[in-house]
Amino acid sequence: MKKSPFKGPSVMSLRNRIAFYYTIATAFLIAIVFTTIFFMVEKIVYKQFDDQLKKEISEIFADSNISPNNFQGFDDFKDNIDADESDSGDENRHKNKKLKVDTEFIQLVNNNGEVINKSASLSWCVLAFNPNQSGRSYFNSNFGGSMVRQAQVPLINQQGVTEGYLIIAVPLKNALIVLHDLRDIFLFSFPVILLPLFLLTRSIAIKSIRPIEKVIATAEKMSQSNLDQRIPLPFHHDELYRLASTINALFGRMQDAFQREKHFTADASHELKTPLAVVKGTLEVLIRKPREREHYETRIQFCLKELNRMARLIDQLLMLARYESNKMTPHIMVTALSPLVENVVERMIPTASTKGIAITVNRADNAHIAADPGMLDMILENIISNAIKYSSSGSSIAIEVKQDEGNIICSISDQGIGIPEEMLNAIFDRFYRVDESRSSSTGGLGLGLSIVKKLADLQQIQVGVTSEKNRGTTFTLTSPAAHNA
Amino acid sequence: MRLLIIEDEPGIAGFLKDGLEEEYFAVDVAYDGKSGLDLALTNEYDLLIVDWMIPALSGIEVCRQVRKAGSLVPILFLTAKDTLEDVVFGLDAGANDYIKKPFEFEELLARIRVQLRAKNKADDSLCAGSLSINPATHQVFAGNNEITLTPKEFALLEYLIRNKDRVCTRSRIIEHVWDIHFDSDTSVIDVYITFLRRKLEAAGCGNLIQTIRGVGYIVREPGMV
Repeated sequence: MKKSPFKGPSVMSLRNRIAFYYTIATAFLIAIVFTTIFFMVEKIVYKQFDDQLKKEISEIFADSNISPNNFQGFDDFKDNIDADESDSGDENRHKNKKLKVDTEFIQLVNNNGEVINKSASLSWCVLAFNPNQSGRSYFNSNFGGSMVRQAQVPLINQQGVTEGYLIIAVPLKNALIVLHDLRDIFLFSFPVILLPLFLLTRSIAIKSIRPIEKVIATAEKMSQSNLDQRIPLPFHHDELYRLASTINALFGRMQDAFQREKHFTADASHELKTPLAVVKGTLEVLIRKPREREHYETRIQFCLKELNRMARLIDQLLMLARYESNKMTPHIMVTALSPLVENVVERMIPTASTKGIAITVNRADNAHIAADPGMLDMILENIISNAIKYSSSGSSIAIEVKQDEGNIICSISDQGIGIPEEMLNAIFDRFYRVDESRSSSTGGLGLGLSIVKKLADLQQIQVGVTSEKNRGTTFTLTSPAAHNA
Repeated sequence: MRLLIIEDEPGIAGFLKDGLEEEYFAVDVAYDGKSGLDLALTNEYDLLIVDWMIPALSGIEVCRQVRKAGSLVPILFLTAKDTLEDVVFGLDAGANDYIKKPFEFEELLARIRVQLRAKNKADDSLCAGSLSINPATHQVFAGNNEITLTPKEFALLEYLIRNKDRVCTRSRIIEHVWDIHFDSDTSVIDVYITFLRRKLEAAGCGNLIQTIRGVGYIVREPGMV
């Protein structure tokens, strides 16, 4: 490893953690597998020895013509022990008196463990006797410094009493070497496997989390000025792909929000600075030279008009801000809609009649909704004054209040210039004006419909709009009918 | 000097026209981008003042079209947009300068003078022979003596001196000194030239304005004939 795998004092990087956990798990599994293999091999080896011992035992019994359950006396064995050995063995053993461990050993003991008889291969040595084993048993024991596999067969007489034991043993030397080698190989190969495994897993982890590095790099570079950047999507449609596309979608939403905010700021600054620039400029030019009284009066009148417009704009902006921070709560009460509509229309008639616009109201009695009358008044005034503003002279505006399946619907239809369909969604945005030059000639500020929307939302009134260019626009307010308490 | 204002806000266009005309400029106003571009391309202006957000064609687009037509007329952007990106975007579109609303009228005048300043000149003063004029204060001096001129006389003299050693045709003089509402009777130039010559002669700078018969007038540096 070229670098330290740790980035901080206590933080392990993801790739190292993956590799570490993976290696731990694999080490555990390998340990289980190795142990199992080792013990199975050991068992197989011992079983082979046990089979050999079994065969020897039955041969001894067969040669002596006795059965272990019908024991007559130790004398029956006498010849067979040596005879058996001389069959398989080396004649020289007796002479040099040296203990040979690569052959089999046979020994007869009585109940007290006293040796009755033993094969010549045992020489002066004695096989271990385990008095606690009453049945036939196989076990390892130390014999003259080396390990032997040993069988102990009880010799039972006709009365069922154990008279003594036949003990037979074979040396384990070669088998033990194999088993020890196997264990050594396992112990050696364990770390030898694990270290490359750790490195390999780590490099795989690095490779598979590289897209995450890309995500991090892109996200780090992201700022307000380059919100249009996106994370390159990985080739495979996997979790990282989903992560990247989720973050991209988040960036998209952030970009939209920033865009809207930027738009709003730009629009607000235009709306506020233009009247300011007009007033400032007009007065600056006015004061440069002495002028006629009439000249002063017209210019000052003009400035006052601009200032009023600005004051109205600031009022509306503050109102919107208050509603948006939810500092104003509506006083909801059961309100009769028709009289309220008529009231607003009455106020608007002077403005409408100067443009030659007729307003007709089709009222429904008993149309009650739960709303704040003051806010409702403001909503209606905004919509109706818009209708008047964008209608040509001589046209008419139709207002209808009707009941429809438990809902009260109020619709305001004009025959004005209409709104292009692609802009219908945006008309409730603050400062949005269909006319992009934001000309002040219509007197609009671009806040009316945002206020309408905000007020309607506060009272759970739905605002709908349909429009056809040059044919007219219809606004509808829908609210569940409330029963007069 | 003749200016074109392209601005949809009547309040701003109104005081700009008032104020600039008092500063002896001939001022035309267009209230949308399209008519503004038409005026800019068909007349010869010494400077354009363009608002960014105007109907029909944005100020940026007007600026691009004017530059595309090969005109090098100085363009001054006038807008409420004030972020760094907006400023850079506007200047990159071909504007020469940028002034944010609300602005000081005096600053606007100074920026206009900068754009009209002759190339390779450190200050605004214009001179021919012993005559020197200051466009900022509208003063004309013959040596140390000030000559009092009417606004139109001043504008005419300023134009001739700015185009020193070049023949100014009658139609160009009309275009640059009078605004678009002036009908094309060019004999009015002769009247003003007569007034100017009389005043200059009284101050000892006679013979500065010479007539090119059938074409127009020229101001020549004395001794270069």
